[in-house]
Amino acid sequence: MAILEIKHVSKFFGGLAANSDVSFAMTEGMIMGLIGPNGAGKTTLFNCITGYYAPSKGEVRFKGKLMNGLEPDAVCKLGMARTWQKVRPLAKMTVADNVMVGALCRTNSLKTARDLAMEQIKVVKLDKKVNFLAGGLTIGERKKLEVARVLATKPELLLLDEVMGGLNPAESEDIIQLILDIKKTGITQMVIEHDMKAIMRISDRIVVLNSGEKLAEGAPEEIVSNPEVVTAYLGESH
Amino acid sequence: MKPFIMKTADTRGSFSPSLIIGIVATAALFCVPSFVQSPYALHMMILLFLSTIVGESWNIIGGYTGQYSVGHAAYYGAGAYGTLILLHKWDIPPWYGMWAGIAAALVLSLIIGSICFRLRGPYFVLASIAVAEIVRITVLNTPGLTNGAEGILLSDLPPLTIGGTVITDFVSKVPFYYISLVLAIFTIVVTWLLQNSKLGYYFQAIREDQDAAHSLGISLKLYKNIALAISAVLTSLAGSFYAIYIKFIDPTTVLALDLSVQIVLIAIIGGIGTIYGPMIGAMVLVPLSEALRSNVIAQGLINSGLVREDSGPGIFLKEHLAHAHVLIYGILVVVVILFMPDGVLGFVKKLTKKRG
Repeated sequence: MAILEIKHVSKFFGGLAANSDVSFAMTEGMIMGLIGPNGAGKTTLFNCITGYYAPSKGEVRFKGKLMNGLEPDAVCKLGMARTWQKVRPLAKMTVADNVMVGALCRTNSLKTARDLAMEQIKVVKLDKKVNFLAGGLTIGERKKLEVARVLATKPELLLLDEVMGGLNPAESEDIIQLILDIKKTGITQMVIEHDMKAIMRISDRIVVLNSGEKLAEGAPEEIVSNPEVVTAYLGESH
Repeated sequence: MKPFIMKTADTRGSFSPSLIIGIVATAALFCVPSFVQSPYALHMMILLFLSTIVGESWNIIGGYTGQYSVGHAAYYGAGAYGTLILLHKWDIPPWYGMWAGIAAALVLSLIIGSICFRLRGPYFVLASIAVAEIVRITVLNTPGLTNGAEGILLSDLPPLTIGGTVITDFVSKVPFYYISLVLAIFTIVVTWLLQNSKLGYYFQAIREDQDAAHSLGISLKLYKNIALAISAVLTSLAGSFYAIYIKFIDPTTVLALDLSVQIVLIAIIGGIGTIYGPMIGAMVLVPLSEALRSNVIAQGLINSGLVREDSGPGIFLKEHLAHAHVLIYGILVVVVILFMPDGVLGFVKKLTKKRG
């Protein structure tokens, strides 16, 4: 059974179709790349999947269960978690406390939450900054923090929204390794990214959005050689 | 935007030096009435404790959860009226009557929460003000129950007896001193427990970034309402105490907007979202209020020669400064927000950081 099914999802804001009849499915453990020009509707789709928006039409099914209309906190508890395009650190709380907030989704004990949090902090290699206030971290560290925090909620499906945005090549490489390590633990991932080289390396399949519609879907090699995709998004050099 | 100072967090007091200081201070405060007999001094201490109670209570929803309610007088009044109505009309002693106040405050907080928490930021503030005013006007206009504008005047309290022996007949200020001290310590302990609990983490997450918190499995509705309910109940205890101490309440003294503003000020001045903040705020505001009320400031300005007694400003100050407390509070809020947004506590921390 597919872990995530997007069935003819549309999202309208007045007359604007931010998402228009988008359909695809994800199998457990895969990494799906979601690409498209700015304004294509990628983040809107994330919001529809995780409960920030209710889809205007269509269904979002997670492990067969209908997700339309559920609140974001319910979605998280059911096993789907997302990061934010513009990072959202809990600024006045420490790195440890930030990740503990995620961990507390799965436990009521502060001690257990702290242990869970420290595991994830080690995974993203932020353990030297455990007691730093999140507001004082660099952008690369904030992105890692966000991943650690969301991993602490023990998701089955992780949605990463431009997690490499604004990072230098070394930091991007760290994140790529992180995503591949997460895949080894069995977590399914949907990754929005503009860095094509990265997407090509990590994705099992790619979905291309353009102006709210699904333009193409397929293996990375197919996408890169698809003339429509090239025209709309990739540019001739690819 | 000011550059964010990267700093390590302070240890969350489990058995820190501050806990030891707290225990010593509490012990000292318990001994005070043995040495201090002056009713005025005891009265000042009681006001200090009362301000601490309302400041710490507000802090739970305001400082920790980031929802700035400027309508907390509604819960204070609920406690005051709940207690005194039961005592005045049906002779129910206040140690039972206060539970009516608590129940009323709880119900009020759930109603207010369900309406106002859909709103964010300044809109929530305005809504909280509006709802508190609705409560005040309702109380004002139901004289059958509340005596309306006349208020409720208590002649004396029933003595507190346990199993036949009279503990106190509430004639001196001393029993009130101890009750308010215990209530203050209770609120501080509750705050400390919350801070080191899952609830505390969730409250602060909501304050820092509501949408992020939501996406991490935190039900905004549930936790905001829990925070408000706890805050409301503690505030109502303060109101109940005020009612039996002062023995007169009316809508203007226990339900008015300037009381709500004062409550917020106590927490903001000291340092919002901290355990010590409201205590410090109380220690600033209570003497300041008293100085204003008793015209000490105006007199001091005149005595020091800064202002001549018979000059225009001199006469103006002497006559009006005592009533200008709301204006002074307003100026204080602006000054604190502009120059010391983390309150006295934050200001001191910044100073010590520069030196260290």
